[in-house]
Amino acid sequence: MSAPDLPPAVDLQALLSASEITPVLDQLDAELVGLAPVKRRLREIAAYLLVTKARQQLGLEASAPSLHMCFTGNPGTGKTTVALRMASILHRLGYVRKGHLVSVTRDDLVGQYIGHTAPKTREVLKRAMGGVLFIDEAYYLYRPENERDYGQESIEILLQVMENQRDDLVVILAGYKNRMDTFFQSNPGMSSRIAHHIDFPDYGEDELLAIAQQMLVQMHYHVDAEGERALRDYIARRIQQPHFANARSMRNALDRVRLRQANRLFSQAQGSGSALTAEALSQISAADIRASRVFGVNTASLPDAPYP
Amino acid sequence: MMTNTNQRLTQGQFSFLPDLTDPQITAQIEFALKNNWAVGIEYTDDPHPRNTYWEMFGNPMFDLKDAVGILAEINSCRKTFPQHYVRVTAFDSTRGVESLKMSYLVNRPTREPGFGLARTEVEGRNIRYRISSYATDKPEGERYGQ
Amino acid sequence: MNDIGDVRTAKIRGRYDAGVMEYKKMGYWQPDYVPLDTDVIALFRITPQDGVDAEECAAAVAGESSTATWTVVWTDRLTACELYRAKAYRVDKVPNTGPGTSTPQQVFAWIAYDLDLFEPGSIANLTASIIGNVFGFKAVKALRLEDMRIPVAYLKTFQGPATGIVVERERLDKFGRPLLGATTKPKLGLSGRNYGRVVYEALKGGLDFVKDDENINSQPFMHWRDRFLYCMEAVNKAAAATGEVKGHYLNVTAGTMEEMYERAEFAKSLGAAIIMIDLVIGYTAIQSMAKWARKNDVILHLHRAGNSTYSRQKNHGMNFRVICKWMRMAGVDHIHAGTVVGKLEGDPAMIAGFYDTLRETSTKTNLEHGLFFDQDWASLNKVMPVASGGIHAGQMHQLLTYLGEDVVLQFGGGTIGHPMGIQAGATANRVALEVMVLARNEGRDIWNEGPQILKAAAQWCSPLKQAIETWGDIQFNYESTDTGDFLPTATATASA
Repeated sequence: MSAPDLPPAVDLQALLSASEITPVLDQLDAELVGLAPVKRRLREIAAYLLVTKARQQLGLEASAPSLHMCFTGNPGTGKTTVALRMASILHRLGYVRKGHLVSVTRDDLVGQYIGHTAPKTREVLKRAMGGVLFIDEAYYLYRPENERDYGQESIEILLQVMENQRDDLVVILAGYKNRMDTFFQSNPGMSSRIAHHIDFPDYGEDELLAIAQQMLVQMHYHVDAEGERALRDYIARRIQQPHFANARSMRNALDRVRLRQANRLFSQAQGSGSALTAEALSQISAADIRASRVFGVNTASLPDAPYP
Repeated sequence: MMTNTNQRLTQGQFSFLPDLTDPQITAQIEFALKNNWAVGIEYTDDPHPRNTYWEMFGNPMFDLKDAVGILAEINSCRKTFPQHYVRVTAFDSTRGVESLKMSYLVNRPTREPGFGLARTEVEGRNIRYRISSYATDKPEGERYGQ
Repeated sequence: MNDIGDVRTAKIRGRYDAGVMEYKKMGYWQPDYVPLDTDVIALFRITPQDGVDAEECAAAVAGESSTATWTVVWTDRLTACELYRAKAYRVDKVPNTGPGTSTPQQVFAWIAYDLDLFEPGSIANLTASIIGNVFGFKAVKALRLEDMRIPVAYLKTFQGPATGIVVERERLDKFGRPLLGATTKPKLGLSGRNYGRVVYEALKGGLDFVKDDENINSQPFMHWRDRFLYCMEAVNKAAAATGEVKGHYLNVTAGTMEEMYERAEFAKSLGAAIIMIDLVIGYTAIQSMAKWARKNDVILHLHRAGNSTYSRQKNHGMNFRVICKWMRMAGVDHIHAGTVVGKLEGDPAMIAGFYDTLRETSTKTNLEHGLFFDQDWASLNKVMPVASGGIHAGQMHQLLTYLGEDVVLQFGGGTIGHPMGIQAGATANRVALEVMVLARNEGRDIWNEGPQILKAAAQWCSPLKQAIETWGDIQFNYESTDTGDFLPTATATASA
């Protein structure tokens, strides 16, 4: 573009409203409890992308920015949800053409025998073109213990595309923080191509309670004050136990609570023979929650299986 | 050389137009994707009008959202078979169709010798016709040079 | 309804007492009747005689198209007559008719017929019932069959189109664009040798099909075998010259079935992909030829010769959409169904209704398009509509917008009349078509940008340039006569 073609100034506010990313960010604020640092980083990145766009319009920025990202954090901390919204933000800002999210793991990318991996990885890349490729537990791609592991082949194809086809897709790697750090140490090529790192903290007890309440509302259930106390106690205990997976553990716990509630209603109905009100059907009692095995069981002796 | 207006094979939905550029092909692929059609790539060195089954360059591509990956496959096919006919198809799985909705050529051999028409005179003034490609006198893979 | 009495006589008159009785009192008017899923339903437009009320008229039409005669017969009582009686169950005044308009009052009458009134798989029997006698009936001034709902149970007794749109395209290896055709002109007088020349030039220039005209059969100037032999020479030569499958609709219409079969067999023996018949050969002959076509892997084209004698005027006869339905059942693969923009009758909304009837797997009630019923086509193949008559390359954007992709566009004069010759005419049409499909797929607004798109292509295609210079401004803007009743209609104008 030659100088005379450039506009004299850019209206950032107009750019913002034209891109329609504000609703996406607001939606994220509403649907995700807590995660304040993540949300802050997200707004920063959005602002940066918007400014980059403005700079491009004024001819100050020539090449497309690298947008590949890394989301680290424990299971159930909202990485996939944020990746979905990120895809939508990138789409609205015009950094990806379609804005869909393709979520994969090692098994989708790496084959079992020679010659199998490249077509598999390319197949996934083809599907992700125009959108965001989300690779969960990306460090499994690299298995230093096995010299002939095909994961390396996949990594190399990914790197090539991440470098040469920045306009065509954005890659988000995700997983535990410490393992991802190790992965980057062994794969400096990958590390250097990641522009944005976002760390997802574990939820605090209050946040988990809010998440559980939000889930109950979505399922059309509710708890009374005593039930809420029980839920709070449950969370305090559950956090201490192994395999705790933040929001995902909350969902699993509530699924089991609903089973117990149904069981309770059934046995009550058999006794009385009276009809159940809508209120009775949507009420979760403290007893439904306190019947969980986390109460009164020695946590150290529990097996590795998910908690009942 | 073929003697029709275009001096070339006119199969496919865009054969009377100048060869499609990559951006034009991309736009056609996007049209197919928008309709949820699966895009396929096929090549042959036997362009007889009734040769239905060209070789598939991989399976039809299902569940794709963007044309870039498909264009890369097309280019890879053109690179592998520079002297073959290559066509792009789009398959619609809707009830009542379950067939192709698009088919157009994206690659041709440099020289297109065309087809001969053999006439066998049979009873009365009847004639049995046989159309055969001049190129298929040679074995597969050697028909249009390298 | 059996015991409705008439109190004009001193004693209560029974339903089956001898004498004349109003049709609606004989059980042919049943306002509470709910049609069964298996009923055939017909919708008639009735112009009643002065002084005859609408319900009696509807009942009379129901009666005369099913079991009734002018007087009571006791032999009814030997039958399950209530089942066999057609039931008129609804009458509505037709909008924009009657007092205050220039048209006498008309009514729409809905009449349901039990499935057992009809012979399976016979259009002849269906039509003998529904339109057999009743159109000359004195109680109505005029009568028009507007639409029919054919139940799935009845459709399943018909073969349907021998080939259908999907398989036709697969056989021809042509996808993603309308097919192109032309009718050989002049329609009469060419010798077989000269006729084949036109076919060869048009096909080599880029058309997919050439067509015999409806009245090209076997006249002194060209006997049918000559035509078939020369046309197939032209078709095969053009196929070799282009590498494409080509076809010529060989018209096998003749005086007897035996003669038609002989012509069809000869066409097949020459390798013809498609043959043709005229609507005037009659429904039974059409069904026979459809069976023959399926058995012999030949596509069957139908020219709607004669239909305008009964389909064009709005007050009497039958609507063409009913012909479309019967022909889909009878089993033709192609039927001429209007162009909107050409020289022949065609209101855009009505033609959309015809095209949907031919091409969809099911259609919903759409009064603006003249479709009065939901119609499930029970997996009968789709019929390819053919747009023919006074169309040219300059209208390509309008044709593609109005008619869509599954259609044969036939440019007879628009090909053969090209100043640079027939091949150039064919090329102009093919280039205009491909460039318009390409632009449409790219998401361009072809309705408005069409003329520029054509002009841009004309820069590198001189045949197209000539075509546009010759015919660019030709339009046929006449008032349509067969229009919808539920929308103010405008005749299609080449506004863009």
